[in-house]
Amino acid sequence: MVFEMKHITKTYDTVVANDDVSLHLNQGEILSIVGENGAGKSTIMKILYGLEKPDSGEIFVGGKLQRFHNPSDAMAVGIGMVQQHFMLFEQMTVAENIVFKNELKKGPFMDMERTVETVRQLSERYGLKIDPAARIADCPVGLRQRVEILKILYQNANIIIFDEPSAVLTPLEVEALLETIRGLAKAGKSIVLITHKLQEVMAVSDRVYVMRQGRVVAERMAADTNMEELAMLMVGHPLASYEIDPPKPGATLLETKGLSLVENGRQVLSGISLRVNAGEIVGIAGVSGNGQSELIRCITGLEKSTGGQVLVGEKDVTNRSVREIRDAGLAHISEDRYVWGSAPEGTLEENTLMARQDEMPFSSRGVIHPRAIREYAQRLIQGFNVKASSPAQKMRELSGGNAQKLIVAREMSLDTPVLICCEPTRGIDIGAMEAIHSRMLQRREAGAAILLVSSELTEIMSLSDRIYVIFEGKIVGEFQRGSMDDKHLGLLMVGGSIEHE
Amino acid sequence: MNNERNWRRTLLGVVDTVTQPLIAVLISLLLGAVVILIIGKNPLAAYGSMIRGAFGKQVYLMNTLKRATPIIMGGLAVCMAWRSGYEAMGGEGQMILGAMAAALVGYYLPAPGWVRILAALLAAAAAGALYSTLSGWLFERFDVTFVISTLMLNYIANYFASFLCNYPLRDPEANVYQMQNAQTGELPAGATLPPIAKGWVHWGFVLAVIAVIIVWFLFKKTSFGYKSRMGGLNPRFALYGGINARRMLYLVMILSGVMAGLGGAFETLGSKSRYVDQMIFSTGYAWTGMVAALLANMNPIGTLVASILLAGLAVGSSQLMLMDIPLEVCNIIEGIITLFMSARMIRIAAGNIRRRKQAKGGGEA
Amino acid sequence: MTYLAQVINSTIREITPILLVALCAGVCSKVQVFNIALEGTLLMSAFFAFLTHYFLRNIFLSVAVAMAVAMCMTLIMSTFIVKLKGQPMIVGMALNTFARGFTTFLLSVIFHTKGAVNPSDLKGLTKFDLPVIKDIPFLSTVFGSLTVIDYLAFALAIAMFIIMYRTVIGFRLRALGINKSAAGSLGINVPRYQILATTLSGSMIGLAGCLLSLGRNAMFIQDISGARGYVALAANNLCKGHPLGAMISSALFGFTTALARSLQGTAIRQQLLQCIPYIATIAAMAFYNAYARAKAKRRSL
Repeated sequence: MVFEMKHITKTYDTVVANDDVSLHLNQGEILSIVGENGAGKSTIMKILYGLEKPDSGEIFVGGKLQRFHNPSDAMAVGIGMVQQHFMLFEQMTVAENIVFKNELKKGPFMDMERTVETVRQLSERYGLKIDPAARIADCPVGLRQRVEILKILYQNANIIIFDEPSAVLTPLEVEALLETIRGLAKAGKSIVLITHKLQEVMAVSDRVYVMRQGRVVAERMAADTNMEELAMLMVGHPLASYEIDPPKPGATLLETKGLSLVENGRQVLSGISLRVNAGEIVGIAGVSGNGQSELIRCITGLEKSTGGQVLVGEKDVTNRSVREIRDAGLAHISEDRYVWGSAPEGTLEENTLMARQDEMPFSSRGVIHPRAIREYAQRLIQGFNVKASSPAQKMRELSGGNAQKLIVAREMSLDTPVLICCEPTRGIDIGAMEAIHSRMLQRREAGAAILLVSSELTEIMSLSDRIYVIFEGKIVGEFQRGSMDDKHLGLLMVGGSIEHE
Repeated sequence: MNNERNWRRTLLGVVDTVTQPLIAVLISLLLGAVVILIIGKNPLAAYGSMIRGAFGKQVYLMNTLKRATPIIMGGLAVCMAWRSGYEAMGGEGQMILGAMAAALVGYYLPAPGWVRILAALLAAAAAGALYSTLSGWLFERFDVTFVISTLMLNYIANYFASFLCNYPLRDPEANVYQMQNAQTGELPAGATLPPIAKGWVHWGFVLAVIAVIIVWFLFKKTSFGYKSRMGGLNPRFALYGGINARRMLYLVMILSGVMAGLGGAFETLGSKSRYVDQMIFSTGYAWTGMVAALLANMNPIGTLVASILLAGLAVGSSQLMLMDIPLEVCNIIEGIITLFMSARMIRIAAGNIRRRKQAKGGGEA
Repeated sequence: MTYLAQVINSTIREITPILLVALCAGVCSKVQVFNIALEGTLLMSAFFAFLTHYFLRNIFLSVAVAMAVAMCMTLIMSTFIVKLKGQPMIVGMALNTFARGFTTFLLSVIFHTKGAVNPSDLKGLTKFDLPVIKDIPFLSTVFGSLTVIDYLAFALAIAMFIIMYRTVIGFRLRALGINKSAAGSLGINVPRYQILATTLSGSMIGLAGCLLSLGRNAMFIQDISGARGYVALAANNLCKGHPLGAMISSALFGFTTALARSLQGTAIRQQLLQCIPYIATIAAMAFYNAYARAKAKRRSL
C-alpha cells in the first residue's frame, strides 16, 4: 500500500465535500476515482496533495502518518499532481518549466546546458517526446500536459494524480495519454486517475472507486464491472434519455457565408458557411480551440471578422455592433459564465437586466424603474428554479449551476428568434444540465433557431438535429441526426476522413 | 421573510461600509498623535483645537465648507471615472485648467456680472472635459494607461497655467515686488459667486451639493449609471450585453472632467476671485477629493460627507500653527487614512463573520 | 563644444536618479506588484539622506539611512498590496501623500522653513573623477563631477539584467510574475518572494534619493523629487521592465529634462520648458504603442 486515507471529512461553509471518505492505493496500480461534478473526487485529491486541509481524518504515506500544510510537503513524500488547469509559465521554455524550484545551478546562475540535457534524458527515459527549448506558448495542449507530467517525474514522484486529464485533449491525444499512463505504471509508478469519462476508466484502470455526494459509494475491480454499472452508481438512478420529436424546420434565421478571420497572421476561420433554420438545434462539434470561440464572437459582434457575411433573419449584420446584432433578434449564452456572461460582483438584478436596460418597462428616457427590474429578476429566478436568497444577492455567491441557469434564463427570456448556446452546461451538476437541455428543446418547439457549441460530444449528439464538424477553422462535414456515430465524428474532429466507407 | 432578510442585508452592508473608514480614521489619528508627541506637544490639545478650528465657530465652519467645495467636485470626478473602471487621476490638471478658464472668462468677457459667471462656469466645465477627454483619447487610441497619462497631464496643466498667469495674463495692476505668487487680474465685484448670506459660504458650495445629488441620481436611477457600473465591474460582460464601451468611455471622461473643471471654477469664482499660481496644485484639492471618494467607496453622498470632514481636518490644522505644530500633520493623517482604507483586511474580516453567521443561521445556499 | 559637453553631463545627471528608480519599478513590475509609491519613496529617502548628513556629517551613513528608509517604504507598499490585498493605486497614492506631508512637517519642525534648506558648509557626495579621462578636455566635462552613485546606476542596470535573466533567483522571480498560481502550486511562497524582491530593489530608490539631495551640494527643497518617480514609472512602462531597456528609456527623459534646462534663458518661458519632459513621456508612450499596434496589424494581414 503506497498511501491510505482514513475517514476524511471536509466541509466548505455549509457544503459537505467529503464525508468520511477512506481509500487506499497499491504499488504500481492504476486507480480511478469516478463521480459526477461536485461528488467530491477533486476535493479528496486536493487534500492528498496538500492544497486543502481536512476537517478530520488521517493520511498515511508509506505507512507513516502525514500532515500536509502545502503541496511541498506532499511533494517531499513523492506525491505529484497533474492539475486540470495547467500550471505553466507561458513565456518560458519547456525545460525551464520542468526544473522550476529544483533548478540546476552553477553557483548562483542557471546552468542551462545541463538543464536542457537533463530534461532531454528524462523525456527519453519515459518515452515522452518534447523539445526542451520550445516555448510553452507555442506548444499545443497535448504537449503541455506532457510537460506537466515530466515536471512531476523530475521531482521523483512515485504517486501521480491526474485530475480530469482528458478534458482538454483531442481523441488522439487521449489515446497517447492512456498509453503514457500505462507506461508509467509499468515503470513502477502508482497512479490515481480522477475522471468522469468511463471509457477511459475501463481502458486503463485496475480498480475503481465511485463517489457520490461526498461519499465513496462503491469499490470495484475494473475486471468485475462495466460502464453501465459504474454510470448507475455515479448518478444513483438510471439515466434519463430524451424523447425528441422530428424537427419541423422553417425559414433560415441565422446564416454565415464564407466567414473568415485572420488574427496575428494566423488564419483562425476560413470560409465558414452555415445555416440554422427555425425550429432546429444545430450543433457544432469540434475539439476546443479549432475556431469555435472565434466563430461565435464573429457572429455575435464581439470580434470583427476579416471576410464573409453574417445574416440574422434577412438582415446583414456583418461586423455590426453587439447592440445592433442583438436587436436583429439574437441572444447568446456565452462560453464562460464569469468572463463574458456575467458580472460576478454585481447583484442578480443587475445581471438579469443586461441588454434590456434601455427597454420599457425597465427604463424610460434613461431613468430606470427599480421595481420592474426587481420583479423581472424575481420572475426569472423562480421561473428557472435558480436557488438564490434574494435578487439583491451577488452573482458570485451562487453556485456554478445556478449562475448558469440565471444566464440561460436571461438570454432565453429575450425571446429572440436566434439563440446561440456555447458550452451551456460546462462544469455544472446533472440536475442543472437537464433543466437547461429541456429549456433548449422547449425553445426549439417554439420555433427558435438554436446554434449549439459544445466540447462534450454526447451533448451535441443528443440535442442536435444537424451537426457541423469544425476542424482548424473549417467546416469539414455536415450530418443529419442519426446518420453518424460518435467514432466517425471523433475522427472528423481531428482532421481524419471517412471516404473509404 | 424575504423583506426581513433584505433589511438585515442592508444593515450589515451599512455596518460593513462604516467600520472600515472608522478603523482607518482611528489608526491614523493614533499615529498622528505619536508624531505630535514626538515633537513634544500634547496630541489631545492639538486635536481639540483642530476640531474647534474646523467646526467650532460659524466662521470656521464656513471656512471648512469653502475648502470642501473643490474637494467635493474632485471627489465626484473620481467617483465618475473609477466606478466605471477607469482609474484616472487627472482631477488635478482638469481642476487647474477649469480654475484658469473661469478666471480668464470672468475677467476678460465684456458682459454683465451674471453672464460672466455663467460663461465662466461653462468655460471651466469645457476646459475640464476637454482635458479629461484627452486622457481618454490617449487611452483608447494609443493604449497609454490612465495612471501615467493623467499624472503627466497634471504637471503639464500646472506649468501651463503657471506660464499664463506669470506672463500673458498677469494681473496688470499687481506689484511685482510684493507678490509671492503671480496671479491674474481680479474679477469685478459682480462676477464672483456671492455668499449665500452674510458671513456664509459662497454659492459654489450649494452648486457642489446639487452636483452630488445629480451624480447620485445618475448612478442610482439611470440606465447610464447601470451601464457605467457594469463596465466597471466586468468590461467584457458590458460588451457582451451590447453596451458601447467607446461611447461610455468618452461620456464618463467628459462628465468626470466637467466635475473637476467646475471644482476649479468654484474656487476661482467663490474664493480667490482670480487665478493665483499653484492655487490648486499646492493645496492638493484634487488628491483630497480622491481620498474622500475612496473613503466613501465611490458613493457620491458619502463623498460629500468625507470631503467636509477632510476639509475640516485641513482647516482645523491651521490652528495648530498657534501651538507651533506644522499643519502638514493633516497630510500625514490623510495619507495614513488612505493607506488603511486600501487594505481589505477589515472588509475580509467582516465578510468572514457574516459568512460564519450565515452558516449558523441554517444556510442560504 | 564645451556647451555640448555640459549638456551631455547634465543629461547624465538627470538620467541616473530616474534610471535607479526605474530599475526598482522594473523588479516590482516583473513580480506583479504595481508600485506608484515610487515618488513618495524617492522623496522620503532624499529627505532622510539630507537629514542624516546634516546632523551626523557622515556620507556613508547618509546613504545607508536613505536606502533603509526607501526599503521601509517599499516594504509597507508591498505588504499592503500583497498581504492585505490593498488596491495598488490607492496604496501608492496614500504613501505619496504621507511622504509629502511628513517631509514638509519635519522640514518645518527642524529647519523652520517650507522652502529650501541649503547649508553652505555642508558638502555633497564625493565627486569621482575617472583617472585618464579627467585630462582629456571634452570628456572631462562630459564626465565631470559625477558621483560614485552615478556610475553605480549604470553598473546596477547591467547587474539587474544579469540577476533577473541569468540567475536562479531572477528566474524564479520572473516565473512567478508570469503565473503566480503555478509557482504557488510548486510550493513557492509567492507573497514572500514578492515582498522580499520589491523591498530589496527599493534600496535603489534610496540611492536615487541621495543623488537628489546630496548629488551636487547638500540641500533639500520641498517636493525635491519633482515627479521623477512618476517619470520612472513611465520609463519602466516603455521598456517593459527590462533593465537594459531602462537605460534607454531613462535616457530619453533625462535628455528632454536636460534640454529643457539648457534652453532656459532663451525666448521660451521657463514654465513651458518644464512641460517638455512630461509631454515627451506621453508622446513616447503613444508612439511606442502605435508602433507596436501597427506591427501587430501588419502581421495579421
